Parts: sequence; C-alpha cells; structure tokens
Amino acid sequence: MSTTDGPTLIPDDASAQEIADREARMRRRKGWFPGLSDKWNALPRQTQWLILIVVVVIAYLLPILNPPLITTEPGNNWQIALAQMSVYALVAVGLNVVVGYAGLLDLGYVAFFALGSYTAAMFTSPDSPYVHIPYLWTLPLAMAVAMFFGVVLGVPTLRLRGDYLAIVTLGFGEIVRILATIIPAMKGQVGFQNVGHPPGTDSSGQTIFQNSNGTPWYWLTLTIIILVLLAAGNLERSRVGRAWIAIREDEDAAEIMGVPTFKYKVWAFAIGASVGGLSGALFAGQVGFVNNQKFDIATSILFVAAVVMGGTGNKVGAILGGALVAYIPLRFTAIAEFKYLIFGAALVVIMIFRPGGLLPARQSLLAYGRLAYNKLKGALGDIPASGKVVLEPGKGADK
Amino acid sequence: MTLLELKNISVHYGRIQAISDMSFSVEEGEIVSLIGANGAGKTTTMRTISGLLAPSAGSITFAGQDITRMKAHIRVVQGISQAPEGRGIFPGMTVEENLDMGSYGRKDRTKVAEDLERVFDLFPRLKERIKQFGGTMSGGEQQMLAIGRALMSNPKLLLLDEPSMGLAPQFIRQIFKIVTEINNQGTTVLLVEQNANQALARAHRAFVLETGSITHRGTGKELLANPAVKEAYLGVG
Ligand SMILES: Nc1ncnc2c1ncn2[C@@H]1O[C@H](COP(=O)(O)OP(=O)(O)O)[C@@H](O)[C@H]1O
Ligand SMILES: [Mg+2]
Repeated sequence: MSTTDGPTLIPDDASAQEIADREARMRRRKGWFPGLSDKWNALPRQTQWLILIVVVVIAYLLPILNPPLITTEPGNNWQIALAQMSVYALVAVGLNVVVGYAGLLDLGYVAFFALGSYTAAMFTSPDSPYVHIPYLWTLPLAMAVAMFFGVVLGVPTLRLRGDYLAIVTLGFGEIVRILATIIPAMKGQVGFQNVGHPPGTDSSGQTIFQNSNGTPWYWLTLTIIILVLLAAGNLERSRVGRAWIAIREDEDAAEIMGVPTFKYKVWAFAIGASVGGLSGALFAGQVGFVNNQKFDIATSILFVAAVVMGGTGNKVGAILGGALVAYIPLRFTAIAEFKYLIFGAALVVIMIFRPGGLLPARQSLLAYGRLAYNKLKGALGDIPASGKVVLEPGKGADK
Repeated sequence: MTLLELKNISVHYGRIQAISDMSFSVEEGEIVSLIGANGAGKTTTMRTISGLLAPSAGSITFAGQDITRMKAHIRVVQGISQAPEGRGIFPGMTVEENLDMGSYGRKDRTKVAEDLERVFDLFPRLKERIKQFGGTMSGGEQQMLAIGRALMSNPKLLLLDEPSMGLAPQFIRQIFKIVTEINNQGTTVLLVEQNANQALARAHRAFVLETGSITHRGTGKELLANPAVKEAYLGVG
C-alpha cells in the first residue's frame, strides 16, 4: 500500500524485472487471455439479457425446485437455508464494497449487521418498550443507523492506514456485542422475541412471512440483492468506483492523481455499513429473535472469508462466497462443528492457488486456468529458483 | 517568475527529522535537479511538495499561493503532479485506465484528449500497450507510464522522483531525453536523482542534498565542475 518502498516488484528488482519482462513477452505472443468477463462483454446485448434472465429465474425457483444432492435436507430445511444463504450473500455484497472495492480491511463488519438486527428488533418486537413501527420501515432505518455509525467510526480511523483500521474495526465489532450485553435496554442474552415481518396473508388467511417459512424471506432478500447489485454496478462504473479501485491499488498514488482518498474511503465504509445494517434487519426478521449471542468476532471473520473466497472486488464472487459460507455448514451437518477449521483451511488453499479468490476482480476462471498452466509449465521449465513472483492482473505483485 | 518556493521547511517522521530548514525555489520553465545519496531526504522533499507529507515547519508557495496546508489531491488541480519513487502505477489497471486516472481531477475533456495524444507522442510504446495491465509491464515501460500519467493532469510543475531507478542503461538515456523534451514543451520539472551525471547535465539549476540539508547549489554545469560534488556523486576523485 505504499509508494515509498521502491518498485512494485519483489523479490529483488533485477529478477523481478526479468520476470515482468518475460510475462509481458508471453502476453504479447499469446495475445489477451479471453477472460470470462471479456467473453461476457463480447456477447451481444440480447444474449446477455437472456442469460441473466435465466439465471435470475432459476434463483427465484430454487426454493421450489429443492434440487437433490444440492439441498440441505433432511438435516436442515432447504427454504430456511436459502433465506440464510441470501442474507449472507447480501452481507458479502456490502462488505465487498469496503474490502473489495476500496481495499479497507473491516474486521468488525458484524457490528453493522448487529446494529441492523437490533434496529429491526427494538422497533418491532413486543418485548421492546419503545415506539413500534411497521417492519418494512425498519429496513431503511437500519441502513441509516448503520451508516451513521459507519461515518462516526470511519472519520477518525480512516485517516490511519492498513493495520490500524483492521484493529479498530475489530474492536468496534466487539463493542457492539458487549454494549448489547451491558445496556439494559438491549436485553443481553434474553433478547427480543417475535421480531416483526412484512405484512400480508395468503388466500387461507395464513401470515406469509413466517419464521418457519424461508421462501418469502428468501425471495425478499434475493430481490434486495438484485437491487443492491444494480446500484453497486452503477457505482463501480462511476468516478467513485474508479477512485475506490485506485485507492485499493495504491492509496498515495490515488491521492496524487487528485482523488480525495479520505472522503471516498469514508463513503465506501458508510455504504458498506448501510448494506450490513440492511442484512441485519432481514436476518432479524427471518429468525424472529435477536440477542447478543449472534454477533461475535468469529462471524465477522466469516464475513471477510466470504468476500475473500468469492474474489475480493467481484460482486458475483461475493454472492457466491457469502452463500457458500452459509451453505456448507447447513449442507454438511456432520462437519458443521468444524466450520471455522474448514473455512480456515479453505482460505489457505485458495490463497495459495488462487490469490485473487474464486472469481477475482479482473480475471476469470478460464484465464486463471491458462495462467496456472503457464505457471506450471514455467515451473517445470525456465522459471528461476527465486522467481516466485505471482503476476496476477488485478492483484499486483506488491502486496 | 518563481513557480515553487520552499521556505525553511522541516519534515519529521515522528521524532526523526528527515529535512531541516530547507529553502529553495524553482523558476517557471526550468529543470531543477535535486541530487543526493540514499536516505538524504529527496523523496521526503518530493512528498512534502506534493502534499503526501506535512512539514513540521516552514512554508511552501506555488504560483504565488501559499499551499503549505493544502491537501495533496487539491495541489494536483492547482498544477503539481508527481511521478512517485518506485513508479506507483496501478498494477491492476490497464495502461489506458492508468492514464485516465491521471486526468481524474479534470473536467475539460477535449483538452484531456489532446494531452493523451501528447503522451502517446512522447511514449509511443504506451499506445501500443494500451490494453496491457500496468503490473505486467517492464520497469522501463512502467516508468514511462508513471510519467505519462503524471502529465495527464496537465501540470505546471512535474515532480520526478528517481525516474532512472532500476532501469537498463538504454531506458535511462531515453527517459532523460524525454524529460528535456517535456521541459521544452513548457512544463517546469523538478527532478530527483542519484544518477547525478545525467541529472546535472540536463538541469538549469541544481541542489545537492545531504542528510536533510542543501549543501551545494548552482547551475547544473557549475555543480558538474565542482570538485566536492565530483568526488561524492560523480564517481571521480
Ligand atoms: N516512513 C518513514 N518513517 C520513518 N523514517 C523515514 C520514512 N521514510 C523515510 N524515512 C527516513 O527519512 C530519511 C530520508 O529518506 P528519503 O526521503 O526516502 O531519502 P531519499 O529519497 O533521498 O533516499 C531517511 O533517513 C529515511 O530513513
Ligand atoms: Mg528516495
């Protein structure tokens, strides 16, 4: 993250230079890797729409299809599993704005999720003595509350770099949980029962949004994810999005290009926080119960793991990563207890073989395959012993 | 006319003083070189001028305006542009996107297009590589990109921090030639170098920096002929 530590290549300049040169030559010979995103962009507009529509329709049909092998049953109700996966996916989409786009390591994201959950609970649960408002109103309110705290936390800490931010956010993640324990109004472990839900009954007079029925919650969250994705896509392509990527790649360089880095970091942090709050409110509604037990640091790390696994900076990857982190312990109940161990190991493996994540920001599965093939060929052939430099577009070699 | 003036500037890293009571100025249209050994404070000086570091004492004036407290990203708009030490290009962005970032603070899109052509004239290689990722370019190409990107803000003052660092000899010659070319086109250049020979030969005026203070000053020719400078920086006894 620094421009003061010499050139962008490791280990030493000469051999790094040589590798960069060879890499450049290799690219010249073979032309550009036809990456997935390039392929996607090369498709005619109608084809893109068609594929998107098919994917979206399948996504909406998932609770009804209940596909064999993939389903989490009999261990866990499939529809509820889907609802939880969608919440995690939304969390990952939000955190991806912070970690993926702007490159800010936020280890306390669970705090914003918790703020959203408590906002929904305290304004709808009969256990709460406060003003009650319709559940759906708590969604924007949760976003606003989380965003407010995002700014309050971001303004002093985002002037600091790297490690400090990680430490401060880690602390903040704990603070919200501890406050929930010691502030009487937040009711500690007793928590809030019967958190509200969206209105509506079906033809037989049954409430649609029941805690025991995951389908409507899944559909609601999926719809919100799509809306957030559209907004995030627009942001990504905007001046703000370009500024975030520049900050992620080299903050000092971004600043001397004229990017108000501090302002944009606060923006990323606040927008991410608001999506975290939104996911928290959805989570609280679906589960119907909020107490201080669900917002520990391990959950926070799991969120980061979801983004990193999916491919930092890639929103489709973030959705996959988020869904996967929720899905695996539900699907493989026998190993659910070891989920942290498994995700830890998976992260290590992914970071070794795919430093950009499952779907890296700029690279595609196909391109990766070729790169891996070339690396392998190189490793067997002409790569010097010291040359363990990984040149991944979108990742840089200076981290 | 004086474009840049540093008056009694001191810079600290925590308790460590990296620059002490430094004063110098750069006139419009000049190439000014700042030479000095490793750790003399050259990069610190550059980062203080571009606004990435705040001085602990002294003042900086640019084009008649006090910019001592001005944020770095605003100094760019005012006309100070830097190609940082180690090049600082965005590795995951293409050449095109890197150059585009260089004009981030600008709104005059037609002028930007002209400046892009100017950069491509100076560095035809960049035009050939427009879709290549910055991180996969060779050191020399990255340096061209860093300078080209810095020019995309259409600066009045271009700060170059060791553009020859780590480059092959033929690249070094080329880079220095282009520095003169850029200056001939009307951009004032402040050049920091350890490669004293070339830096002094191309400079109108130059300063020698030793442990945070200026010890020699004069025209490039004078310093090239100065016995003390010769011995310390030009590798002759
Ligand atoms: N980030 C930093 N923290 C502490 N000291 C620094 C830092 N950067 C540079 N220095 C110190 O400041 C002095 C000047 O460094 P620098 O400006 O990088 O020198 P140069 O560019 O001439 O090689 C050196 O003694 C160096 O160790
Ligand atoms: Mg230096």
